[in-house]
Parts: sequence; C-alpha cells; structure tokens
Amino acid sequence: MASPRWTKLVRDVRSERGRLALMIAAIAVSLAGVGGVLGGYAVLTREIAANYLGTHPAVATLELEDGADAALVDAVRRLPGVADAEARDVIVARVRVGGDWRRMLLFVVDDFGDVRLNRFRRERGAWPPPDGTMLVERSAISMLERDVGGSVTVKTPRGAPTEVAISGIVHDPGLAPAWQERSGYGYVTRATLARLGEPPMLGELRIALAPEASSAGEIEARAEEVARWLAGRGHAVREIRVPPPHQHPHQRQMVTVLVMLLAFAAMALVLSAVLVATSLASLLARQLREIGVMKTLGATASQIAGLYATLVGAVGAAAVLVAAPLGVLGTRVLTGAVSRLLNLTITSDAIPRWVFAIQAAAGVAVPLLVAAIPIRRGARQTVRQAIDDHGASPDAPRAWSSTLPLPLRTALRRPARLALTLGLLAAGGAMAMTAYQVKRGWDASVAKVYETRSYDVEVVLSAPASRELVERLERVRGVRAAEGWGYAPAAFTRPGAVDVVRTYPDRGHGSLVAMGPPPGTQLVRFPLRAGRWLAAEDGGTNAVVLNHAALAQAPGLRVGDEVRLSLDGRPSAWRLIGVVEEIGAAGVAFVADAAFARAAGTAGGVRMLRIASTARSGEERSGIIRDLDRVLEAEGAPVESILPLAELRTAMGDHVLVLVRLLVAMAAILGAVGVLGLVSAMGVSVVERTRELAILKTLGAAPARIGRMLLYEGLTIAALSYVAGCALSVPLTMLVGGIVGNLGFLAPLPLVLSPAAAVVWLVLGAVATFAATLVPARRASALVIREALGRT
Amino acid sequence: MIELRSVTKQYRADGGGFTALRDVDLRIAAGEFVAVVGKSGSGKSTLLNLVAGIDRPTAGEVRVAGTALGGLDESLLAAWRGRNVGVVFQFFQLLPTLTVLENTTLPMDLCSTRSPRAARARAMELLEQVGIADQAGKLPSGLSGGQQQRAAIARALANDPPVLVADEPTGNLDSRTAAAVLDLLAATAGQGRTVLMVTHERDVVGLVDRVVTLADGSVERDVRTPGARAEVSHG
Repeated sequence: MASPRWTKLVRDVRSERGRLALMIAAIAVSLAGVGGVLGGYAVLTREIAANYLGTHPAVATLELEDGADAALVDAVRRLPGVADAEARDVIVARVRVGGDWRRMLLFVVDDFGDVRLNRFRRERGAWPPPDGTMLVERSAISMLERDVGGSVTVKTPRGAPTEVAISGIVHDPGLAPAWQERSGYGYVTRATLARLGEPPMLGELRIALAPEASSAGEIEARAEEVARWLAGRGHAVREIRVPPPHQHPHQRQMVTVLVMLLAFAAMALVLSAVLVATSLASLLARQLREIGVMKTLGATASQIAGLYATLVGAVGAAAVLVAAPLGVLGTRVLTGAVSRLLNLTITSDAIPRWVFAIQAAAGVAVPLLVAAIPIRRGARQTVRQAIDDHGASPDAPRAWSSTLPLPLRTALRRPARLALTLGLLAAGGAMAMTAYQVKRGWDASVAKVYETRSYDVEVVLSAPASRELVERLERVRGVRAAEGWGYAPAAFTRPGAVDVVRTYPDRGHGSLVAMGPPPGTQLVRFPLRAGRWLAAEDGGTNAVVLNHAALAQAPGLRVGDEVRLSLDGRPSAWRLIGVVEEIGAAGVAFVADAAFARAAGTAGGVRMLRIASTARSGEERSGIIRDLDRVLEAEGAPVESILPLAELRTAMGDHVLVLVRLLVAMAAILGAVGVLGLVSAMGVSVVERTRELAILKTLGAAPARIGRMLLYEGLTIAALSYVAGCALSVPLTMLVGGIVGNLGFLAPLPLVLSPAAAVVWLVLGAVATFAATLVPARRASALVIREALGRT
Repeated sequence: MIELRSVTKQYRADGGGFTALRDVDLRIAAGEFVAVVGKSGSGKSTLLNLVAGIDRPTAGEVRVAGTALGGLDESLLAAWRGRNVGVVFQFFQLLPTLTVLENTTLPMDLCSTRSPRAARARAMELLEQVGIADQAGKLPSGLSGGQQQRAAIARALANDPPVLVADEPTGNLDSRTAAAVLDLLAATAGQGRTVLMVTHERDVVGLVDRVVTLADGSVERDVRTPGARAEVSHG
C-alpha cells in the first residue's frame, strides 16, 4: 500500500484534471518556445559554421590595379603566413528581367576545377560552365525568373547587352540570398567575361592566413604586409577588403534576433510559471481545510510543502514531455526560415542534448521557483487559520477600499493574486501590441525611404560622365527633375596605409561610398543627428557629412573631428560637420560637389543620377526607366545600375517579414498564457467565495445576478490589465524597436503607437474575459446552497 | 498531564480586541475524562485549541504531556501534536479522497511511527475497536455520520497519543449515535488516556470525571462528578 498522503495527492490530482491540464498546457507552450529557439540557435550556429566556414572564406581580398596572373598567385601562396590565395573578380553588371534591368553580380573564376577560397557547390547542371554560359546561385533563380536551360540578357559596364545561357545552379553559402539583396548572382569564366565586353582580368587577390589570425586588426596588419610585398614587385594594391572574420554577412542579425526571441520565450515561461502558481494557489485554497487536518494529525510544514512541490514538479515534467517534441518542431520551422534567410543548407538538423537538458531543467525549476511562494504560504498556514476557513471573506477588504466600486473591492481582497493576474494579462497584451507596433515602426522606417528622398530612380555609372547628361535626362518624358551627383567607392583611411574596407565579396554589406550632391539638392532631405547639412559655401571647404551607417563604421567620430577618406583610391582629409540619418542606405560620406570633384579628380563629371519621375505606378515607372535606359545608351553612358527606390523598399520588407511573424507567434503564446491566467484566477475567486456566494443566494440573489457579478469582476481585472498593458507596450515597443531597427537600419525604429492595435486587443481582451469568466460563473450560479454552506 | 497557567488569549478584530480566554489556570491529570461546557463564545474551543497546540496563547503557559508548547515552532509543534494529541472534530474532517483505512493510517505515515504494514495492522485493529472494520475500504462519503465520527476517533488514536481532545464530537449526530460515540470516548479514557471534550450535551455527567464550565473566558465552575471514576486523583 502506498503511503496515504501520496495516495491522497494522486487522487486529488485526478479530480483536478482540467486545471492540471491547463497548467501543463501553459508551461508546455512556453517551454516549446524556449526549446524551439534554443534548438534553433544551436543548430543554426553549428550549420553556419559548417556552411560558411566550409566555403573557406578568404579573410582578406586585395584589389590590384593591374590584376593577378597565375604566377603572381603562386608566388603569394608561397609567402610566409599565407595559407592560400586565389585570383577572382566580381563585376557589377545588369540583367534584364522582363522589361526591367536589375543589378547582377558576376563572380569571375579562373579555374572552376580549382576553387580554393569562397567555395561554392554545384547543385545541378554543368560544372564548369561552358564558355558563354553562366552558373546561377540557387537563391537568384526566382529573381531572374529563369532556370537551367533558360537564358538572360546581361550587360556589363563596358559591354553590350548579351544573351547568356544558364548552364547550372550552384549554392554559395557565403552570400546573403539574392531575393533579399534584389541582385542576381552569376558565375562565369574569364572567357565568358571577355565575351561580355570586359577585359578578362582578375582584379581581386583573395587570401587565407596560416596560422589563422585572431582578430580583424591582425588580419588587416598581415594583409597589409602582403600588399607591401606586392607593391614592392610593382603591383599596386588599391584597397584591402576585410569582412568580419568567420561571420556570415547576416550572422550578427541572426544571433540578435534569436536572443530577442529567447528573451520573449523565457518571459512566456515565467508568466506560465506564474499561472501555475495561481492555479496552485487555487488548489491550495480548496485544500486549505485538508491541509489543516493533516497538520492537526502531525504533518509538518515541510511534509505539506513536499507534497505540493512534487505535484508542481510532476506538472513541469509532464510539460517537458509535451514540449520537447513541440520544441523540435519549432526548431525545424525556425531553422527552415533562417536557413532561407541566410541561404544555408542544413546538413544536419540534429539538436544537441544540452538543449533538451536546459529545456527540462527550466520546465521543472521555473514553475517550482515561482510556485514556492503559494506553497510556502499554504504549508505555513497555522492549523487554526486552516480549520477556521469558512470560505467566506478569508481576507477582509481593506478599510480604505470601501469607497471603491464593488468589483474592484472584491478583486483587491487578494492584492498579490490580483497583481499576478494583472501581470499575466498585461504582459500578454503588451507583447501583442508590441509585435504589431514594431511592425508599424518598421513600416514607418521604410516609409522614411520615401519621406527623405524626392527621387524615385537612381542611376549609377561605372565611370563619370559629363554634366550635360543631366540636362539630356531632364528632357525625357515623365522626368520631373534630375540631379547629377559625384559618386565614388570610398574607405576610411590611415595616412600611409592601404585602404582597408569591411566589405563582403557581395559588395553590399559593410560598404562605404562618397557622394557629391549639387549645392542645395532638392532630392534628399535627411534628418540631422548632429551638426548640420552641407551648405552652398561648403564647396570651397573640406566639410563632410556622414550618414549614420557610415558613422557606425568609424565609431567615436564627433562633429569637428578630422575624417580621412580615400575616394576611388585617392586619399583626402575632411572635417566632419554633421551626421544624418539615412534609412536604407549603406555608409555614405556626403561632400559638396565642388569639393568632391577636387578630391576624386573627376573634374565635375557625374557618376550618379538621381531622378524624380512623375510616375504614379510601378508600370509607369518601368516605362520611364526603359526610356532613360535608351537615352543613357544613346549617350554612351556606362550604366552600372538603375535602381527604382521601390526595389530598396522590397528588399527591406523581405528582411523583416520572418522576424515580424515570429514576434506575432510569441505574442500569441503570451496572450494565450494571459487568458489562461484569468480563467484560473476567476476560478480561484469563486472557489474561495463559495460560501459567500451561497449566502447571497440564500438572500435571494438569482443565479444570473451572481454570474453577472463575477463577469463584472473579470471585466474590471481585464480593464485594469488593459491600461497596464497599453502603458507597458510603450517601453517594450521602444526596446524591441531599438533592437530590430538597429539590425535593419542601424537606427532605432520610430515609436508608432497604434490605436488600432489597442482597440483590437481591447476587443480580444473583452471576449477572452467573457469566456474566462463564463465557466466559473456558471459553476457559481449552479451552487447548491446546502452543499456550499455545509462545507464547514 | 495538562496544565494551563494564567493563560490569556486575545483575538484582534476590526472593531478592536476580543478576549476569548482571561487568565485561566487549569490542571488535568493523566487519565481524566473532562467535559468543557459553556455558552457560545465562552472560550471552550479556544481552550481546546491551545491544549492541542493548534493555537497559541497571548499570555501564560500551556504544558501538555510534559512539554511546554510555547517553546516549539510550528513544525516541531506539528510533529509533537501528531504523537501526543489526538484531535476529534465536530464535522469529522476525514480527508474525502482517502478510504477510511487510509485516513486512519495517515497520522502514522505523517509521523513515521510505524512501517506501512504495521500501520495498516494497527489501523484495522482500531477500526475493529470502534466497530467499523467492515467499512475500512470505503470513502468517507459512503459512511453515516456516526460511522465517520468513529473513523475520526480511530484516526485520532492511531499514534496512541496520551491526550485526546474532542470539539463537540456529538454536535452533528443524532442522540442515539451521540451516546454511542460518548461511550467510545469514555472507553478511551478508561484505557488511561486523558480526554478533554467540549460539549453542549447535558447528560455527560454520568460519563465524565469532571465538568469545567467557562463563562466570558474564565473558569466559572470546576466540578468533579461523583461518578465511577472517583479513583482518579487530581490536583
């Protein structure tokens, strides 16, 4: 025969099946969130290492003026400290998709049979690509709307539009997905490059080091040594590119997002634990008399506490069993979504054991910790308190509360429980509103792309053209205004050293350009973060304004500081006069166009054309772009890219979509936990007042009246939590918006408080409250007076 | 066996203090069967609770079975009570989800006084004594009031405590059943156990050794009944 107290526990549990299922469900849901995110973190960090590091990424890329031949590459390989070297090139070309030209990166490989660094893997089709054809990165298929066997028209800066067949598909884990970057990725031989009208020269020398360098600084120093060696042999190095070592271009973003999701999941877990605690408090309230009897029979507080702690432990353990497979599912979904986001191939989705260990430990320990409060209180109840519990007014209302409305007074009888329930509901509501408001903040940030820019088409040329081109373009039908800007790739420099930039091979992440807007430009107006914008008289000075993304590359710079830049490899010194916030751009250093012409040696030529069109639709704009293209071609302008501003917006939207969905999922979990909490709290409230309610019935209160009374009480709690939730959503939105905004734009999202979100949550909250109160209210109104009063 | 010295018990209430017991001195010898009577609110139940260690006095000292209860914390007090005091309630207070047998073995389990097997044997023996051995496997809800109170008495005796306190044990029973329960308590006292019983019953005089009458928290009368148990001494 089992010990009678444990027998009692088992039988009590059996009679509380519904409530227990509620507790297990709440814990399991949040625990699944914790497990899913942790598992995702573990699998993704491992797979990124396997994928990205598996490509043998070059730690540095040296850009040579005159290109690298096989003999030079061989010589560099033999240098001490160099593990490997390979010559490559990347051409920023354009590809025609439908009627539009899009950006396309052409990766030029010398020998597809001997790819040593930044490797990519054949997925299907040809390898190597026959001359005149190209391989396409798998994530670019949807961008190009073509697959193996199809062909696209490619135009390089110096060449004419040429039809190129797609002969195979590769996977390059070192690149952010093409659909995100709004850029095609193609892989061609030197011969194909020549056919496309470019000199078949490989301008990039990529290197790996041995022993490996431990920091970006050390990589820079050692790459500079190689650069000096090259310079000594007559090969001038224009620039050294050192991407963050051992990091996928989107790795930092991924880690931050996962940490944020984990924080939310952990919050959900704590809230569920609070729910368990309130449910347990309800169980204890009903068993108070029995606890008193057991204590009369000699049970010590620790024996009683042991019983209920075991119960909570068992609830946690059951939740772990339910949550573990759900967590695995969550991990699969998360790794699936992120692998698409980062263009990874998951080689193994095995989740390490420590994930399950943490999940199990959290599932049991967190509820136990939180439930320790009611357990302690229940177990320490003196026998007389326990036995004297009549189920009527266990807690006298505070004297000061007599002026408050009745439902509030009733709710205030148990301030601690009220606080817990309020906390649960408020947190759920705040989270739900935060998720929505962050989405709105993101939209607002993206909208800034338009608010701060009055142009809708941007043309970048591969070489400066004469200013007359601007006037020519202004005459194109549908063009409202056009401005010619100076434009040059730039780098922050130190005197006497080779330029070092933090760019990845895709040329997008971490790049810096210098721009020379015409005085009094009408096409951009960026909000100032510090100092001032360029003025007309700055043409004669060395004033520079950085955008916030550029400032992030040179942290610590202040207005008034000297800024050393190289523009197209030409060193120059500037004085920082202002910092602007430019959403949706890489790093930009703005200088007056006259100053730009002096520093870059362009003699007033323009390399970038910003054009405001009269287009009201995407189609209209595409038509105008086609016209512009024709004019540019007729004028012989070497077009590198024509980007409608809408592309930028799409690219940014795609980046965040997954994130917002995950946030909404987390909010749903928290909201559910909040409502379960209210159900539980209302249930407890009825149980504790069984006798009081029976007395009311004796005095003639109709069941419907009692039901209404409880409903008002529930609605009062919901209303209080609503106010708290709305208030809490403000700092939470700022916090999350800060994190998300810094990931997406290097700037916090603007705080957008959404009345719509507040109204939706109000309605949802009211409906949920109604549902949550229904069951206990029905139970209360169905009370049989004799039974209820006979409980003593 | 039981000794109260200058015991005062006050309760705090919203409308000010309320004194349940006022400077009470009482000594009860081992083996005595004492009835505590008085009007509602006279302090009977408070007196019983103090003796059982269920409540603590505001002033004064309570000694039961050689132990000064004031020196024990809640946990020690619970353990002490489990071994030294059996408590019988007016509403029986059997745990509803345990069978009669399990209810009876519970105190032995809680106080670890017997192995499960021995506890079961002891419980059966007690149920036999109170005449409901045939109900051992039933849940309390399947028993009549009298049977439940017998089960409660069996449970109170499980750890063979020297003191038994009963708070209106017959208050919820019809008169025939009440008489049987009183007889059972008398028999328990006959085995050398000190029994302290709060009651409203008028006709306990023939059964008990002593009747203590409380009024407004003080001992109004303390009368030894000239019954069969005159050999018990007290002082």
